[in-house]
Parts: sequence; C-alpha cells; structure tokens
Amino acid sequence: MNRDNLAEYLTPIVFGVCIVLSWEAVVRLFHIPLYIIPPPSAILEQYFRNIHRIWEYTLVTGMETIVGFGVSILLGVPLSMLVAFSPFMRRTFYPLAVTLEMVPKIVFAPIFVTWFGFGFLPKILIVFLVCFFPILLNGILAFTSLSLDLTRFCLSTGAGPLRTFIKVRLPAALPQLFVGIKGAAVNATVGATIAEWIGGDAGLGYYVQIASGDLRMDIAFAIIIMLAALGLLLFWMVVLAERWLIPWHVSQRTTHGLVS
Amino acid sequence: MSVAVSITGVSKTYRSKTGEVSALDPIDLDIAPGAFVSLVGPSGCGKSTLLLMLAGLLARSSGKILVDGRAVEGPQTDIGIVFQGNVLVDWRSALDNVLLQIEMRGKNRASYKERALALLASVGLKDFTSRLPHELSGGMQQRTAFCRALIHDPPLILMDEPLGALDAMTREQLRGDLERLLMANPKTVLFVTHSIEEAVQLSDEVIVISPRPGRIVRRVKLDLPRPRDLHLRQSPEFQSIVAEIKEIFLSYGLI
Repeated sequence: MNRDNLAEYLTPIVFGVCIVLSWEAVVRLFHIPLYIIPPPSAILEQYFRNIHRIWEYTLVTGMETIVGFGVSILLGVPLSMLVAFSPFMRRTFYPLAVTLEMVPKIVFAPIFVTWFGFGFLPKILIVFLVCFFPILLNGILAFTSLSLDLTRFCLSTGAGPLRTFIKVRLPAALPQLFVGIKGAAVNATVGATIAEWIGGDAGLGYYVQIASGDLRMDIAFAIIIMLAALGLLLFWMVVLAERWLIPWHVSQRTTHGLVS
Repeated sequence: MSVAVSITGVSKTYRSKTGEVSALDPIDLDIAPGAFVSLVGPSGCGKSTLLLMLAGLLARSSGKILVDGRAVEGPQTDIGIVFQGNVLVDWRSALDNVLLQIEMRGKNRASYKERALALLASVGLKDFTSRLPHELSGGMQQRTAFCRALIHDPPLILMDEPLGALDAMTREQLRGDLERLLMANPKTVLFVTHSIEEAVQLSDEVIVISPRPGRIVRRVKLDLPRPRDLHLRQSPEFQSIVAEIKEIFLSYGLI
C-alpha cells in the first residue's frame, strides 16, 4: 500500500471519526436532552443493549429488501426488453407502468396490509414497486441505444436477432442497466422501511416507529445506523457485480494518472 | 473472387412537411470486378445514402441494384463494411472484435484466429491484439475495423468515410495501410469520402457527385501505379487530377 492508497482509505475514516467526536462534544457541551439528539455514546450503548432485537429485525428488513429487489430485477429487465422490442408492449404496458410510477408508492402500503396482512408479502410488494421503475426505464433506454452504425454492422453479418442480442445488444446494454439497478438499490431499503412503518409487526421500520414514538432517540439512531449499513451493503454488492460484469466500461476504469 | 456492381436509376427522396425532397437524383453506375471506386462529394450530397442502399441497409426510392448479378433486396451479407465512427464493441479486444464478424456469422472462430492475427499484424497491430478499444488510438481502432471487414474474405467492401474522423497525419498513414491491405487482399471496393486527395490516392475510378440532390457530374479514371507513395502523390500527373476535381467543386462554389 503506497501513500496515495493509504490516504484514500484513511481520509474518510478520519473524517467520520471527527464527525462522531464533534457530535458527542456538541451534545454534552450544550446539554441537549437525550430525547432530542442522543450522543453517539448513548446510541452505541443502546445498540448493544438491544442487539438481539436489532439483528433479528435487520434480518427481517434485509430479507424483504433483497427479495423485493431481486424480483424487480428478474421482472424489470425482461419487461424492459419487451417494451424496447415490441411496439405493442410500448403502447400498452409502458403507459400503464408510467402511470403507476406517478402514484406515490406509499399509498399502496395500507391497501396491501388489508389484502395480505402484516406479513412478508406486502413488504416485498412495496420494495418491488419502488425498485421496478428505475430498472424498467433504464432497461428500455439500455436496449434501444445501440448505435445505428453498429446495428448496420450486425445486419451486414446476417446474424439473427438472438445471436445479435447475445453477442452485441446485451453486453452493450449492461452499463445503462446497471444505472437502473443502482437506482433501485438505493430505493430498496426505503421501500421496506416505509412498508414496515405503515403496517408491520417486525423489522427495522416497525422498530424505529416504536422507538421514536417513545422518544427513545438513542434506540432510533441505533436502528438508523443498521438501516444505513443495510443500504450500503446492497449498493456495494451491486457495485461488485458491476465491476465483475463490465470491467471494460469507462465508469469502471482506473483514474490513475488523472489530474484532478 | 471479385464481384461487379450494377446500379441503374437508383434515387432517394425523403418526405418532408413541404413535400418530397430529393436527396439523390437517379444514378447509373457500374463497378467492374476488383475495382476501387470512390464517391467524392460535399456533405449531404447523398453519397453515403447510395452506399447504404447498395448495402441493402436503406430502402431506395427507385431503380435497381445488382451485386454479382443478384438483385439487392434487404441487407447484403456477402460484404465487409466500415463506417466513419469506429464500431468496435468496447468489451472485446482488437482480436475478438475482428472475430466478432466470424462469430456473428456462426462460423468457427478458432479456424479464423490465425488469419485474424495475420491481418492485424499486417497493419502494425501485432502487439495490440489483446488490447481493448479504449486502449487503442483512433487510428488503431480503425485499422482493427478494416481487419474486421476483411476477415471473412468478402468479395465487396463498402467504406463510408472510414478516415473522416481521424487527424490529418493518421489519415495519411491509414491510406497507405488500406492500400497495402487491398493490394494483398484484392476486393471490389466502394469508398465514400469528401477528401479529393484520398480518393485519387486510393481509387481506380473517382466518381464526383454534385451537391444535393446528388448526381454524377464527372467520372475520372485513374491509371496510376500502386502503391501511390509520397513521390507519386507529388507528381504533376497526380496533382493535375486533384486539381481537375477541385475545379468542379470550385464551379459549384463549394471551395
């Protein structure tokens, strides 16, 4: 590890530590009550005191997030292909999806509770709804953006649609597909938390609602830290997949030697 | 293995709000087997349009095109095609980009690998075959595109301003590369360019196209020896042909 690398990893850590220390200092210095802003030390204490419940609920929220996110990729990518390549789908399914996207997804949460109860399914549906549209929209863009000249080259080889898709269209679409998947990953934990908040009996969203209702901001912040960790983990997994699948793309290339 | 191209009364008109706009007046053009023919003309004169219609990638408004006696209806596959922007795919090395031509045709990639390597080596890319496009200069990318157009040994090559996006020095180098490549792999070639020098250096015949709507205003046959090196290009004979074509564009107020 050379000096540049060390600086790259150390800088954000040092910055984070500074934030935490000043937070602690400000809270103590101005005697801010615990129920308004808890100091990091109190948050840490509550984290360990409630560690079993926090981890149990993290698992619940994590599962909802992963499953809803996964389903939105499994359905969103093929549907975006269909919209991209089928004029019929573009005239029927696409406007329906856009209309649905214009509705704030949160209104569906109580409806899903009525339909499916307080369990796993309504949460997955909400996560799916918030993740689906960015994947669909970017997928459509991804599958319709092949340059005219490259399309012409493909035609001049006489290759059929399937071979053209596998050899050229799909790899060419991956970078834009990942834009959508990353956007969805950012939304996923939001969806799960809101769904639990509105109609849940488990999960971090449910827990943070109870904690803040009791003015237990120290517990609430401990939960928020786990939510942040959950979101980061999901995003990091997508970034890893991106690095593995499209190492050739301009976004993945090293910037070493760039003057900034 | 060369083909003849026969173009009879081929035109292109586009519909616009104010009615039909003619991009290309009816063109008659025969290309002899093995000939290198250039279309030279200003931007928008319809020379690329004619190339695309010959490739079967654009519908014509009238006329008939025969390639090796067969009517062109739909995309031609027995051709090699090179465009101005390099159309290499970002995720494949130079070698794999050349072999994409083979894979797209469902042929066995292994049996063409040696030929691909030899083609790349012949344009000075021996040490760059495993590089990705972004690791290659613009000239290297376009050399790779030449190899991809030749790998399957098509009798007809279509080139749409292949050197147009390169800087002046690279353009000059690539002209020489292209000339050598085609001397080693004789083909029938239709070459679209707006560079008169380029056309005269490479062609057996230069077809001069007028501004829009394009039509053929002069056909200049060239019988200069190859390769047309710098000395030849500075000869009075070469220069007088270039001047002759420039005069035509001058008369249209283009230069």
